[in-house]
Amino acid sequence: MQTLSITSLIKDSPSAVAILDTQLRFAGNSRVWLNDFCPDHESILGKNYFDVIPHTPEKLKSILCECLENGSRNLSEGEKFIFPSGKIQWLKWKINAWTNSDEEIGGLIVLLEDVTKTKRLEELYQKAERVARIGGWEVDMTTNFIYWTDITKDIHEVPRDFKPDLETGINFYKKGEHREKITNLITNAIADGTPWDTELIIVTKKGNEVWVRAKGEVEFLDGKCVRLFGTFQDIDEKKKTELKFLEATQRLEIATRGANVGIWDFDIVNNQLFWDDNMYLLYGIDKKDFNGVYEAWQSGLHPGDKIRGEKEIAMAISGEKEFDTEFRVVWPNGETRYIKATAVTQRNADGKAIKMTGTNWDITELKNTQMMLSKSQESFFGAFENSDTGMAIVSINGKWIKVNQSLCSSLGYKEKELLKLTFQQITHPEDLQNDIELLNQTIAGEIPSYRMGKRYFHKDGSIIHGILTVTAVRNINGKILHFISQVTDITPQIENEKKLTRLVDITSEQNESLLNFAHIVSHNLRSHSSNLAMLTKFLVKEESDEERQNLLGMLSGASDSLNETILHLNEVVQVKVGALEKMKSINLYDSIKNVKKNLNLIIQEKNAVCEINIPKNLMVSAIPAYLDSIVLNLLSNGIKYSSPDRKPLIQISSEVNEENIILSFKDNGLGIDLNKHREKLFGMYKTFHRNKDAKGIGLFITKNQIEAMSGKIEVESTVGVGSTFKLHFKKPLT
Amino acid sequence: MNMNITKIKSVCIIDDDPIFIYGTKRIMNEVDFADEIIIYNDGLAAFDGLKAMTKKGEELPSMIFLDINMPIMNGWEFLDEFVQLPNNNSENITIYIISSSVDPRDIARIHEYKVVNNYILKPISVEDLHNILKHVGS
Repeated sequence: MQTLSITSLIKDSPSAVAILDTQLRFAGNSRVWLNDFCPDHESILGKNYFDVIPHTPEKLKSILCECLENGSRNLSEGEKFIFPSGKIQWLKWKINAWTNSDEEIGGLIVLLEDVTKTKRLEELYQKAERVARIGGWEVDMTTNFIYWTDITKDIHEVPRDFKPDLETGINFYKKGEHREKITNLITNAIADGTPWDTELIIVTKKGNEVWVRAKGEVEFLDGKCVRLFGTFQDIDEKKKTELKFLEATQRLEIATRGANVGIWDFDIVNNQLFWDDNMYLLYGIDKKDFNGVYEAWQSGLHPGDKIRGEKEIAMAISGEKEFDTEFRVVWPNGETRYIKATAVTQRNADGKAIKMTGTNWDITELKNTQMMLSKSQESFFGAFENSDTGMAIVSINGKWIKVNQSLCSSLGYKEKELLKLTFQQITHPEDLQNDIELLNQTIAGEIPSYRMGKRYFHKDGSIIHGILTVTAVRNINGKILHFISQVTDITPQIENEKKLTRLVDITSEQNESLLNFAHIVSHNLRSHSSNLAMLTKFLVKEESDEERQNLLGMLSGASDSLNETILHLNEVVQVKVGALEKMKSINLYDSIKNVKKNLNLIIQEKNAVCEINIPKNLMVSAIPAYLDSIVLNLLSNGIKYSSPDRKPLIQISSEVNEENIILSFKDNGLGIDLNKHREKLFGMYKTFHRNKDAKGIGLFITKNQIEAMSGKIEVESTVGVGSTFKLHFKKPLT
Repeated sequence: MNMNITKIKSVCIIDDDPIFIYGTKRIMNEVDFADEIIIYNDGLAAFDGLKAMTKKGEELPSMIFLDINMPIMNGWEFLDEFVQLPNNNSENITIYIISSSVDPRDIARIHEYKVVNNYILKPISVEDLHNILKHVGS
């Protein structure tokens, strides 16, 4: 029963052991075998191996057969099998043939172990090592033997058969701080067991610089370091990214500090607010004076902006409105600063706001500039509105954009009416070209502004004299936005100037006529006085009574002439001093009718016809006595100097133009040669016909009278056909 | 009477003042000034008369007393016309302006007319006529 006893011994073996006969039938097995490989069987004794374990890998099948045939042994530390079902099984075996007493092969002893679990873990570690590029290493301090895993070798870019020692290992670290640092760390670890974990640069065999993370620990035995071991990880990519990120962050920090931009971050989920250092600067406060950022923010915010600020943040979180606002902060020293704030809200996949990141920057300067600008605008418009000078903002095409009251009243338009017009429309045509030329020069940038005297048309059609100053307003790029025009209304001055010129003209005319008058007076008086003297002398000597009578007659005539001359002179002087204030509104027709009545006798005598074609209601502004005198003179002249060849016809008519009433006396009398006599016609004591009663005073006085009434007299005449005298009267003031 | 005094053959007075004409004629007769005195009452009448004489080939008066202020054609206008008359003895004609005017502009104006000899202020006196005769004689 030897055999049986062996079998029963095997039964309790701690490993999975089976004894097979030459037919590969189980002759014995351990309980572990039954558990591990045939859990469904109660007993497998006498059963064929392949019947019991049908899915034995083909390779193992042939090994079993081979060992049985040759009596050889086979060993495997672990073999991976993939079954058609996809199942992976790692098996470890030891197969031996056994011989009976006859030295014949009696069967096989099989030691089988399922190492799938262990092997799988091992494989995973290896994979992880490769993927994470984490290598391992170990130094045996007693033998100074150093071991590197393949990944560690790969990181160092050395061949797999490379044999490092501690020194060569250290020398891979970059010379300088990196090598010094690792040396110190290892020295310390050996000395007192401090583990290390550091990030350093190594220079690989191929000369590449690579960032690595080196971790190490030590093992002590009896207070002596016996082993160093650790991991070695390639973190080059991560490290470089990290460094770049750090660089970018620093750059951002410099930029934000330089630009006075504060950055904040609000973790909505955890209700935490974070500020960078600039934020504290912007709020003029010290970080350490506050327990939390929220407290700091609340204390800095201007009370008037608190509610709005909170509301705007709530709106940003709810997604109603992006956070983009301005608010005030009050510094501890009481100074108010303006802050511009914007933020971006980050949301999770569900659209829920989880974080807000924002910026603050100080816009106080900008705000102050804005306020100053708006103040200066206000004061400009104040000045604009209240200026006595006409002012306007004019577009490039000449349209009025804005006009002030003064300009409106100068031009007689309402603001609305004026805004519908262009400056071209109300500029006097003679001044328009000059204006436009200067304007174009301004647009071209040849001149910054210009100034010119020009005429505008008032709404009522009258002329407004102005001094125009035009300045171009440009934007920062030099493009013209509009023009500012200033118009000083100098119409009253121009009118005064005209009046003054007229006054000067009248004065010099009067001076001239006074001088003439003085000579005329002197001449006339002298001629009469010399006659008187002469006649008296003759009279004294004369003895003949008859001649004395003749002389006395002449003496009396001369004295009458002297008298008459003095009367004329008096009349002229009266006209000269005639005052305008005596001007009245007179019915022209009535006046002429009256004068005509007084002349009825001569009219009848001469058998003359006098037609009056004047509207009966026509009024003129005149001094009544002068008007009578003028009409009497012209009417009687017309009769006096009638042609003996035809029946005298005098036609009196009127016409009215814009400024004057023109009264015409047209006769068919002798006529006057105006080529010869025009200049003397209205002179004193000028006569042109050998009429006894021609005194040469009538037209002189008529001219003086009409001029005294601010009117004038004109004449047209043809010898032998007749004359027309035209009198210009002022219209009465209505 | 002075031996140098030469009697004027024919004198012409152009003036619109009848009293002046009367007086001048009377004085001329007193001093035996001229053989013949021709009178015109205005410039135009004088011009027409003198022109007619020229046409007839008659000799014009050798002396003219001319007033300035006259109706129709004054003294200046007469002169303007007169100098243009084709005249065979114009060089021998002496013209005196006789006027009451003391206007310096009138006196200055005589220089514009070569034919005008002098300006005599009215009234004309015996002395004036004597001086004229002396001047003519010399």
